[in-house]
Amino acid sequence: MNEKQRYIEMLVRRIFIGAIIVLFGSCELPPRNENITRHDLGTDFDSVDIVNEEYVMITTAVTMPMYVNHDQAAFKRWGKKMNVKVSILGPADWDVPAQINTIEEVIGTHPTGLLINGTDPAIAQVINKAVAAGIPTVVYDSDIPNSKRHAFLGTDWYEIGKMQGEEMVKLIAGKGKVAYMGILGLTNMEQGFLGLLDVLKKYPEIEVVGKYDDKANVEEAARITSDILAAHPDIAGICGFDSNSGPGIALAVREAGKTGKIKITTVDWEPEHLQLLKDGVIQMLAGQKRELFTWYGAQFLYDMVHRTNPLAQNDAKAGITSVPYIINTGLLKITPENVDQFIKR
Amino acid sequence: MIQKILEERVYSLGILLVITALITSAVFPGTFPTFENFSQILLNLSIDTIVAVGMMLLLISGAFDLSVGSIVAFTGCLTAYLMHFFNIPVPIALAAGLASAFLIGWVNGYLIAYQNINPMIQTLAMMGIVRGCALLVSGSGIQNLPYWFNAIGQSKLLGVQMPIWYMLATVFAFTFLFNKTIFFRRYYYIGGNEKAADLSGIQVKKMKMTGFIITAVLAGFAGILLSSRLGAALPTMGRGLELRVITAVILGGATLSGGFGKIPGALLGALFMGLISNIMVIARVSGYWQDIILGLILIGTLWVDKYLQKEYAGVV
Repeated sequence: MNEKQRYIEMLVRRIFIGAIIVLFGSCELPPRNENITRHDLGTDFDSVDIVNEEYVMITTAVTMPMYVNHDQAAFKRWGKKMNVKVSILGPADWDVPAQINTIEEVIGTHPTGLLINGTDPAIAQVINKAVAAGIPTVVYDSDIPNSKRHAFLGTDWYEIGKMQGEEMVKLIAGKGKVAYMGILGLTNMEQGFLGLLDVLKKYPEIEVVGKYDDKANVEEAARITSDILAAHPDIAGICGFDSNSGPGIALAVREAGKTGKIKITTVDWEPEHLQLLKDGVIQMLAGQKRELFTWYGAQFLYDMVHRTNPLAQNDAKAGITSVPYIINTGLLKITPENVDQFIKR
Repeated sequence: MIQKILEERVYSLGILLVITALITSAVFPGTFPTFENFSQILLNLSIDTIVAVGMMLLLISGAFDLSVGSIVAFTGCLTAYLMHFFNIPVPIALAAGLASAFLIGWVNGYLIAYQNINPMIQTLAMMGIVRGCALLVSGSGIQNLPYWFNAIGQSKLLGVQMPIWYMLATVFAFTFLFNKTIFFRRYYYIGGNEKAADLSGIQVKKMKMTGFIITAVLAGFAGILLSSRLGAALPTMGRGLELRVITAVILGGATLSGGFGKIPGALLGALFMGLISNIMVIARVSGYWQDIILGLILIGTLWVDKYLQKEYAGVV
């Protein structure tokens, strides 16, 4: 190897090492987890576009009837009343990563405000990104407490489970076998399961025979219920935790000719649920005031941007927001006594 | 030249992508043609593309795997579970996650290749089993993962998010392997005519099993990457991913009968779907319409492609 070749080899090696160093030097690590403080809440909304006002709701399972009939209908009504543009985006199925992707893409379009369905704690990072981009951000349905969201409106799912548990105890006189079902793995539903079990475990004569995943599917809920009836003919009650649990459980119980003998409590109050309650197949519905989530959520966004109720000379500099931090919209308990009030004629 | 373009889906899809991007840039000049938006599109499709590379390999060989979405969820959840509840160091947890994906791929591959179980039935069954395991492992999901685990998917290199680099590295590596190694080229022979491939001395069964293992390991890697990007492991991750990925790969030039397709096609197919999704978000097309539009585009693209091939290239 002559002198020139050696020189070229050395040069190439140095360039290669240099490139590696530059490459690693330009590697940007993510920020360490920060503790969320009240001071983080104050965001300056000076850059927000209030000329072409547009409020965007981002959820997952955007076509779910419960979301369409309650959350989205109220959000659209609010947009009409306030005469501002509202958009509803998100994946058609329950897909949290796809919801995150949608939020990320929407942030780039700088909407006036973001109303985000708190589907999972994993969306915290992208909420923080929206807040850092100066976009007023309100979370609804389930809270994302580890995020920097400006406000939250929703229901306490633990209370939903507790309400079902207390009613079930009354319906079966504190004894017998109970099963429950919903979408396993969802944070809010697991909270609901916990609330139910915390009540039931106080009654030693109640035996919990199983927790089942109905995958938010009526047919699956009906199939599971049939299996439960076959395995436990003496089952006393079944609790449902997603919108399709109730109709599915009711279908199987009806087909087995055990209407009224097996007590059913479930969530939501779609027309189908109300009719089943009226027919005596379901005994109680734990309803959420979902219209309030999105109506007031949107209003909070509007109030933040328009500084409707300034509390300090400059709320952002004071590290505050001028809207409530957490709103629990409460629950509806629908029973045969008051069901007529909820049926739309 | 035109004939070459029409014969190769990679080229025709590439041109379609450029035309779509140019039109969208003209319609939404303020929001679409920005570095942030393009970077976001690539980031959003990076997980799907890594899985799509494996799926392309399988479709070239005439098979497919419906369990990839569940593998994405399971490996992410298992890795997170080991780190979160047993304080296992990040590299060991990663290795365990990938090993579990390897095992799932091996079971799929063995039963399909050596026991002649139909790939659709086998991987459909595995999809349910693995999804159930993900639920068992993670419950409602695992949060607060170690910082260095999150750094895998949340860091940036030269201002570009790491999952994009991993995606590009996977695509380049497999493109190289398919172009330059006899081993990977044999998948075309298997997909084209399995019996002839067997008679010519190719170890078809072994190759098919390897294909399922590679696909599962890529899905496992994608699952780890997704958990790292989210900073959380969710048992619902990857739901519907298998159909999305198969759509992207078919859009990218593969056929269900096997023997066709190129690795860059997987990237372009995923890119096209990602681009359409992004345009719909920017145009504020409601979520109700997104699946309908994507389905129509898939059918429309394939139909136009077939029509043009027939019309100009004499190829059906």
